[in-house]
Amino acid sequence: MYKQVLKAQWLAARLPVVLLAVLAFALPLLTVTSGSGLANAPVERVGQWLFAAQQVGVLIPGLALLAGLLLGIGAWAPDHAAKHVYALALPIPRSMFVLLRFAAGATLLAIPVVTLGVGAIVATLSVSLPDGVHAYPLQLTARFAMAALVCFAIFFAISIATKRAALATLGVICGVLLADAVLASLSIKDAASVTASVFYLLTNWPGPLSILMGRWALFDV
Amino acid sequence: MSNAIETFDLGYRAGKHFEIRDLGLKVREGSIYGFLGPNGSGKTTTIRLLLGMLKPVRGTITVLGRKVPDEMARIMAQTGYVPERPHLYPYLTLEQAVRYHAAFYEGFDMAYAGEMRRSFGLPLDQKLSHLSKGEIGKLHMLLVLAQRPKLLVLDEPTDGLDPVVRRDVLSALLDFCSQGSATVFISSHLVHELERICDWVGVLDNGKLVVELPMQSFKNGIKRIRLTGAPSLVGDTPFVLLQRETTGTEQVWVVRGWQPPMAQWFEGVGAAVKEVVDLDLEEGFVELLRSSRAPVS
Repeated sequence: MYKQVLKAQWLAARLPVVLLAVLAFALPLLTVTSGSGLANAPVERVGQWLFAAQQVGVLIPGLALLAGLLLGIGAWAPDHAAKHVYALALPIPRSMFVLLRFAAGATLLAIPVVTLGVGAIVATLSVSLPDGVHAYPLQLTARFAMAALVCFAIFFAISIATKRAALATLGVICGVLLADAVLASLSIKDAASVTASVFYLLTNWPGPLSILMGRWALFDV
Repeated sequence: MSNAIETFDLGYRAGKHFEIRDLGLKVREGSIYGFLGPNGSGKTTTIRLLLGMLKPVRGTITVLGRKVPDEMARIMAQTGYVPERPHLYPYLTLEQAVRYHAAFYEGFDMAYAGEMRRSFGLPLDQKLSHLSKGEIGKLHMLLVLAQRPKLLVLDEPTDGLDPVVRRDVLSALLDFCSQGSATVFISSHLVHELERICDWVGVLDNGKLVVELPMQSFKNGIKRIRLTGAPSLVGDTPFVLLQRETTGTEQVWVVRGWQPPMAQWFEGVGAAVKEVVDLDLEEGFVELLRSSRAPVS
C-alpha cells in the first residue's frame, strides 16, 4: 500500500523533487567557490570567506521552506483535483490514508536532504580549511532535514484542509495584517505590532519555525 | 432475505433549497437495484450518504450489515464504487492505476482485471489523461469488478458514454453478477437502461423516495385506463391513482398496482372501462414523477 502511494506521489511530484535535489546539491558547493588555498591564507581573507559562505548558508533554510511547501501541497494536489472522492472510497480509515500520504511525502523529502548531505561532504572535501575553522556537513544536513520536515508538516496540514478552512486561515492572516495596518495608520505610540508579535511567536523557541532561524553555516570556527 | 443496504428516516440538508427527507431504502441482497430519478433529485447525495462521504442530519444507514459511518473501512473493503465523475489520478498509466487500486483490496483479482482489460481493449501504458471518456468508464468498471465486491454502487456509470461502450460496460456488469451473488445499486436517469438489467427499482424525486418496488410490478403495474362514467370523487381504490384527466366524455386514469380483476371496482362505482393500456417504463416513470409533484385529490 505504502509502496503504491509513494510511487503515485513520486510520479506526481518528481519534477519539483528533482529541482529541489539539484538545488540542495548545489548550495553547499556554492559556499566553497572562493575557498581555494585557504589553509595558509591571512586571517582577514578567512574571515571574508567565512562571511561569504554564511551568506550562502542563509539560502538553505529557504530551500527547506520551499521543499516543505512544494511537497506538502503536492501531497494532496491529486486528491484535491478529484475532490477526495477516490481517497474517501478506499477501504482504509481516513487517518491511515493521511499517514500514508505523509509518510510518502516525507520519504520524497529525503531526496533533497540526501543530495544536500552529499553536496556538503563534497564541498568539505574540496577545500583545505585553515586551523580553527571546522566543517559541519552532517550537522547541517540533519538540521536541513528537520527544518524541511517541519515545513512539510505545516504545509501538509494546511493543504489537507477544506476550502472553508483554508479561507478561514487566510481570513485570520488578512485580519492580522489589517489590524497592523490600522494600528500603523493611527500612529499609536507603543502599540505592539500584531504581525511582529505573531512572527516572534512562530520564529522563537518553541515556535515551529524557530528551526529556520539562526546561523546556517557549513563552515564555522 | 436480508438487505444489503438499509436506511431509516434518513435526512440530509444541503443549502437552503435541497433536502433528503425521510429516506427509507431497502436494497435486498443479491438484487440489481435501479435508483431512478431526474437530474438534481438527490441520487448522488444519497449514494455519498450511503458510503459515509456525507454526514446525515438524522436517520440510520446500514450497509452489508454494518453501521455507516462507524465501520466504513470494512464496508468499503467489500464495496465497489463508481462515482458520477472520473476520480482516478490522471498522471498514472492504466497499469499504474490498476496496481495502485489493487494495493488497497485484499481480494483484488489481477487475472480477472487483465482479462477484462484485454476484452475492453484498454491500452496498458497509456496515461489516464490520454484516455477517452469511454475508456475511463471501462477502466472504472474493470477496477471495481476486479475487487470481487459483495456490493457494487454505481453512480450513473454509463452517463455520457456512446452506445457501444455502454453495452460493453453493462455486459461486463451482468457477466459479473451472473458469476456470484453480488448486490448492485445503480443510479441513473436513463430509464431504458435500467429496465433491461434491474430487478428492483426505487424512484427518487426532489430528495424523497416516491416508490420502491420490484421491476416487474413497476413495468406491469402502471396502466393508462380510458373509461366513461367515472365518479368525480374517488374514495378507497384497490390501486394507486397517479393521474386523472378528462377529455370530452371520457376520462383517462393512470394507475399503479393494477391487476385485471380490479376492473370490477369500476363497475361498482358506475364506470365503464374502455381500454387498459400498458405504459413502458419511461412513461410510468414520468407519470410517477408527475403524481409525486402534484398528487391527485
